[in-house]
Amino acid sequence: MAIQKDRVRFNVGGRIFETTSTTLANAGRDSLFGAMFDDNWDLQPDITTTEHFIDRNPDCFAILIDLLRTRELYIPTNIPEKLLFREALFYGLMDHVRSAKWGPFDGNRLHLSQSVKGWAPGDGTAIRAGPDGGCCVAHGSMVHVYDWMLEEHPPINLDYQRVNDVIWVDSESIVISACERLGRDDGGMGLFSASTGELRYKFHVTHENQVKSYTGGALSFNSDYKLFSSCKGRSNEYGIGVWDQVTGKQIDFFYQPVGWSTGDADKLQWLNGTNCLLVATLFPRKDNCYISLLDFRDKSMVWSWSDIGTPISDERRVRDAIAMEETNSICVVNEYEDLGFMDMRSSSGLVRWSSRSRLMKGKMFDEPCYPKLASHEGQLFSSMNDSISVFCGPDWVLSSRLRNRYGGSICDFSIGGDRLFALHSEENVFDIWETQPPPIV
Amino acid sequence: MNGGGGGQKKRNFQIEAFKHKVVVDPKYADKTWKILEHAIHEIYNHNASGLSFEELYRNAYNMVLHKFGEKLYSGLVSTMTFHLQTMSKCIDDAHGASFLEELNTKWSDHNKALQMIRDILMYMDRTFVPSSHKTPVHELGLNLWRDNVIHSGKIQTRLLNTLLELILRERTGEVINRGLMRNVIKMLMDLGPSVYQEDFEKPFLDVSADFYRAESQEFIECSDCGDYLKKAERRLNEEIERVSHYLDAKSEGKITNVVEKEMIVNHMLRLVHMENSGLVNMLLDDKFEDLGRMYNLFLRVPNGLSTIREVMTSHIRDTGKQLVTDPEKSKNPVEFVDALLEKRDKYDKIISLAFNNDKTFQNALNSSFEYFINLNPRSPEYISLFVDDKLRQGLKGVKEEEIEVILDKVMMLFRYLQEKDVFEKYYKQHLAKRLLSGKTVSDDAERSLIVKLKTECGYQFTSKLEGMFTDMKTSQDTMQGFYAAHGAELGNGPTLVVQVLTTGSWPTQSSITCNLPAEVSALCEKFRSYYLGTHTGRRLSWQTNMGTADLRATFGNGQKYELNVSTYQMCVLMLFNNSDCLSYREIEQSTEIPSSDLKRCLQSLACVKGKNVLRKDPMSKDIGEDDVFSVNDKFTSKLRKVKIGTVVAQKESEPEKQETRQRVEEDRKPQIEAAIVRIMKSRRVLDHNNIITEVTKQLQSRFLANPGEIKKRIESLIEREFLERDNTDRRLYRYLA
Repeated sequence: MAIQKDRVRFNVGGRIFETTSTTLANAGRDSLFGAMFDDNWDLQPDITTTEHFIDRNPDCFAILIDLLRTRELYIPTNIPEKLLFREALFYGLMDHVRSAKWGPFDGNRLHLSQSVKGWAPGDGTAIRAGPDGGCCVAHGSMVHVYDWMLEEHPPINLDYQRVNDVIWVDSESIVISACERLGRDDGGMGLFSASTGELRYKFHVTHENQVKSYTGGALSFNSDYKLFSSCKGRSNEYGIGVWDQVTGKQIDFFYQPVGWSTGDADKLQWLNGTNCLLVATLFPRKDNCYISLLDFRDKSMVWSWSDIGTPISDERRVRDAIAMEETNSICVVNEYEDLGFMDMRSSSGLVRWSSRSRLMKGKMFDEPCYPKLASHEGQLFSSMNDSISVFCGPDWVLSSRLRNRYGGSICDFSIGGDRLFALHSEENVFDIWETQPPPIV
Repeated sequence: MNGGGGGQKKRNFQIEAFKHKVVVDPKYADKTWKILEHAIHEIYNHNASGLSFEELYRNAYNMVLHKFGEKLYSGLVSTMTFHLQTMSKCIDDAHGASFLEELNTKWSDHNKALQMIRDILMYMDRTFVPSSHKTPVHELGLNLWRDNVIHSGKIQTRLLNTLLELILRERTGEVINRGLMRNVIKMLMDLGPSVYQEDFEKPFLDVSADFYRAESQEFIECSDCGDYLKKAERRLNEEIERVSHYLDAKSEGKITNVVEKEMIVNHMLRLVHMENSGLVNMLLDDKFEDLGRMYNLFLRVPNGLSTIREVMTSHIRDTGKQLVTDPEKSKNPVEFVDALLEKRDKYDKIISLAFNNDKTFQNALNSSFEYFINLNPRSPEYISLFVDDKLRQGLKGVKEEEIEVILDKVMMLFRYLQEKDVFEKYYKQHLAKRLLSGKTVSDDAERSLIVKLKTECGYQFTSKLEGMFTDMKTSQDTMQGFYAAHGAELGNGPTLVVQVLTTGSWPTQSSITCNLPAEVSALCEKFRSYYLGTHTGRRLSWQTNMGTADLRATFGNGQKYELNVSTYQMCVLMLFNNSDCLSYREIEQSTEIPSSDLKRCLQSLACVKGKNVLRKDPMSKDIGEDDVFSVNDKFTSKLRKVKIGTVVAQKESEPEKQETRQRVEEDRKPQIEAAIVRIMKSRRVLDHNNIITEVTKQLQSRFLANPGEIKKRIESLIEREFLERDNTDRRLYRYLA
């Protein structure tokens, strides 16, 4: 009898489904089923005999009800994903679909889920993963925004100026930095709505109480809602600007020290543990490389490294840098994907190079790209040509390699929302790498 | 429209063609909104049973899908606003007590409706609301309720007044509907912390402050301190309970602050000093419960405990001063120390029972005792006498653990003494007497106390005391050796027991000898030669003033008694073996006992009733130089053993006291000098004030050095060229290696 009472009958678009209220309860209160079977909605006393009509696609309903039954998502090839997503949104089951689709990120278990063809070919600048599994791609003066379903949202631009960097400050907001246009207040930085693409506000640099136009460079933010950007103004406004990302007001400016370079920085990285900002200005933007850690509390440069004065061959030329706080080290990479490590706690300036990837040499692409670095939960990633290497363990051994030949060499990649996005320099195509949900048994 | 009609409509919407037509229908949006608007009305009118959730959900979905999200949202705002205004009017119309109930009912209606509306508009809430930066439906519903109901002109003040009045009624003892209060307050909290604070908490705290200000004024006029504190405590607990029942937990600290300020802080001094019932009276009467209450209440307010502590301290100091300077109490050292211990026990009990064993109170108690015990310069002597009394007789039949307790208490008093060296002097004297007379009750107790003194003051302090015990033991062995060697030749003569005391370990005695009877004298010579034979290079001198003797005496009627007397008394009595009658002068001549001692000794032999083995002529209390003594033939006693005590003052007489004092001062000189030299040796150069401070600090554990004396010692050291004054700065001293 108990089983009988538990049964629920649906007529979805003309097809009859039978399930149980226990299965439906898996959908949670914040879904169509949760609301429908709430006591507030005085359904007919005997829900087992009543047929509940829903005017929706029965094929998708079958997939979703199966998802509620098993917590697994299986999409038959004849059903387009977008159709299923649309139906899931109707039932309020989007979160279920999202979490069933791919699992927690692990660099060694990634598989290529999809390649998306971008809009304009070439001139890809940056790709950035959003916190919810979406991403945005900057090329030229445009930034294209995709949600986790890879639906494209209205594109973003800042006065159609060339975009230098782009960053997700939260799942709803994107900041882009762009070149200034001489004599006008164009360019700089702006915060946009990720879903509508509308400009919420621009970030200004004031110098001696005057608003100055400037070129925004690399971006970073911290958990105190502070936004950092390297800035290059017309006269003295070289350095790192700090803004409140909620109000958009400038709250600080770290002027570039004499004989050093921060206003041109290629990369900023906020370090939570030490409360410092990593600032790296690299070849070829400058003839030399400058890497420093800035402490904004007392406006001091607490650590620095530069290759000024050392004879430089291309093999020792640093192309990207990343700080890894867990190991107190800063990792750098050269043109040949050799990794080098420096100790953040020592000022010796010594770089321990681990020369291991020479075998990669020799097969140059038509449009070569410089290597880039990323780190995620103790795994280190480095891009070179058309592949991304994954390094693990205390000695950073190569543990996996991701490769997709289509689209030429990789000009940028980014990890976030449990996904890895890789942007290829040709065709503007980008790959989405995901970790599959854990096996059933 | 009735339920059946609704069903009809639903079927219409299932037709595909109709839906398609609707999209092109320019009035589509209006029509769909009408359906949803109608549903919202029905929900608010408690008529939702006829509604089809699926249909409404689909309609709302379609509106958003067809870009009518804005219309849907603004429609929701106006429809909900309309209903809330109607509700607001209903609530406002409610009479008297039903106001709050009506408000509560409407609030729960609105909540239910809001939930159902959110269910219908779930799709809009997920898609349209975030992308257009609107307020989500649930939050919107709360905001509209706040603006249209809670903040509508009359309701706002009426609600506040009602709540405050109910709380006032509860404070005056009435029972109110706490469940209703909880619901309404919860509503204010749901509307956001600022609503709760502005619309209720702040005025509530203000009104409470007024209430308690007035009440505390009234209480303090007509209650004594204990009662007042009881009332304050009850009020405080009531407020804490109120918070737990129907207010935000965060309000607890705020409301208790108000009560504390109005009921305690503002009347603190008056309470403490209240005549006949204030703190001092509580202390006097051991009102543990009241004291505990005062402690717990005052603990909550700034300076509360320090106020109690100060009053307690000055009370203990005053009464303690009275106690130690009371000439009556000073007459009997044992009573004197008993009174100190009693006082100490009393406050210990108060602190542990009422003051939560608060360390700061214990410290205050200790510093107070230290203050007044040292007001009486004879305290060290009395404490030693107290120990003496306990160890002589007081501890007889007392269990070991209890002995420890008493000794610990003595040690506690000892710690308060500034002149520990004076205590040591007396203690040595008293211990010597106990040991030599064999009067000590328990060797274990004696040793236990020495160990305690050692842990307290170090080895140096007790080394001589321990030396005394060693002497006692060695003497026993020596005597055994002596009798083993000479026992045979001694025959039936007197038995001699000698205690060999190391000079320096024992209290210095002016070595006044007397003429011992010939038999004894000969025996003494034998011992001397035996002793010096085994210990070369030593010197023995007889301390005849400290010995005792057992005599067998036969009186006129043939009665035999055993007399237990002092050595001096023995010397006197032995004279009567050869003559019946002797004058004072004759006795003095043949014994050579110092006259003060002789007089005391004769007094105890002739003038004590029941123990008068001698007869004095003339019969008077005091001994005169011309008195004549003879054996009292009529002496009788019930006991065969008669102990004839010496008339001695237990307490030191004034000149003796002076002497001890002087000895103490003499002993201090080398100690002060040693301290000065130690300090100067390490510091090389130091100014006068710093030397004084450091010397005082170094000697603190033994005595409180007098700055004048320190100065004298420095001068003496300068004379002896240990130190010199600096040539340029005369206040500086230099150490001369």
